[in-house]
Amino acid sequence: MAALLVSSGMTNNYFSLDDILASQETIPCTFNVKVATMGYLDQSTSDVDINMGTKLDLPFWLAKYLHKGSRGIVSVDTPKTYKEGYRHIFTADPNVVDLYRLGPYFYLFGEKLLSLQLPDTDDIANVLLKTFQGRFRNIMDGSQNALHSDLASQMEKLDVQERQLFAAGQQGLHEFQKWESRESEKLSTSAMVSNHRKRKRIGYIANAT
Amino acid sequence: MDASEIEFLAEKEHVRVIPNFSQDKIYLISGDLGPFSAGLPVSIPLWLAVNLKQRQKCRILPPDWMDIDGLKDKKQEEADSRFFTDMPSPFYMEITQLLLQCATDDIPGADEVRTLIKDIWDLRLAKLRSSIDVFIKSGASHAKLNHLTLLEMNTVRQFLTKALDHMHRLKLCVSGDPAVQQ
Repeated sequence: MAALLVSSGMTNNYFSLDDILASQETIPCTFNVKVATMGYLDQSTSDVDINMGTKLDLPFWLAKYLHKGSRGIVSVDTPKTYKEGYRHIFTADPNVVDLYRLGPYFYLFGEKLLSLQLPDTDDIANVLLKTFQGRFRNIMDGSQNALHSDLASQMEKLDVQERQLFAAGQQGLHEFQKWESRESEKLSTSAMVSNHRKRKRIGYIANAT
Repeated sequence: MDASEIEFLAEKEHVRVIPNFSQDKIYLISGDLGPFSAGLPVSIPLWLAVNLKQRQKCRILPPDWMDIDGLKDKKQEEADSRFFTDMPSPFYMEITQLLLQCATDDIPGADEVRTLIKDIWDLRLAKLRSSIDVFIKSGASHAKLNHLTLLEMNTVRQFLTKALDHMHRLKLCVSGDPAVQQ
């Protein structure tokens, strides 16, 4: 139970939507055996079966279990964005890369990949950490300084987890700004109450007609 | 934690005021206050001072550190030092904010005090950010920071804890912890 609580922060939670979405990312797989009547998965052929040696992009959650065990129905390959070419780009300058475009769940999916025991697992793990450390300053400065300016341009290159981080930084900044301009001491109706009243009024009109 | 909660804590700090009324001691759970006698300085918590000031029952004597020359020196010291310097009050920002809001007429050079405090605050936050960056880049798991005030910590709290959480997970991956890789 304790382990569950610790890891439930952002990831690795059965009910975490991010976790589910990250496991939808696809991995290039090669079939080692013939799979009967599943040919419709491969759009490029009209065969009824999936033949041995067919290459398909399968979502992580499927590839993981087909790959596991003694049978090894598929063998998996490293996705392009985690291959050596991209790894070089990340090490050169992590700040120029658009992680959102490369897979909105860059870190989370990367973590999942590690469990597949690919030959370059260690390098991927290192690159994930180094990329985050390299990009951290930009995220922090962006989130702590931009007050009302347009944030879209700053956020578009961030992956989903980085965006959450950015939002947390923004919240801290806004709270402080609100306190400094003496707005937090003013009492105001909570959003829940005012919405509730609105809904009631709508209900009242509906009853009257 | 909220900035207004920290302000609440700051309101327990004592300031000296000169009341213009006389009254016996007030007995409160947190301690006795007073006695008040008109024209004699007395030390009371900030919340009461603000309240009395608003009802024009007293004149607030600014804290010793709230003078322009001292703050200029402090600012210089803060700019010169690589580390955080010891602030005259753990709630310097909050006290300035409250006093400048309600007792501008009691503080000599109020505008300049405000600017100086804000400058010191900005200097310290910039320092805080660059030390956080160094901390993350070095990949260390702990760091020691002296003389940071509560409000300063609070502005980066959510962000920093989240970032460290994220980095911790990525580090577990590097060390090949099976708990992450399930």
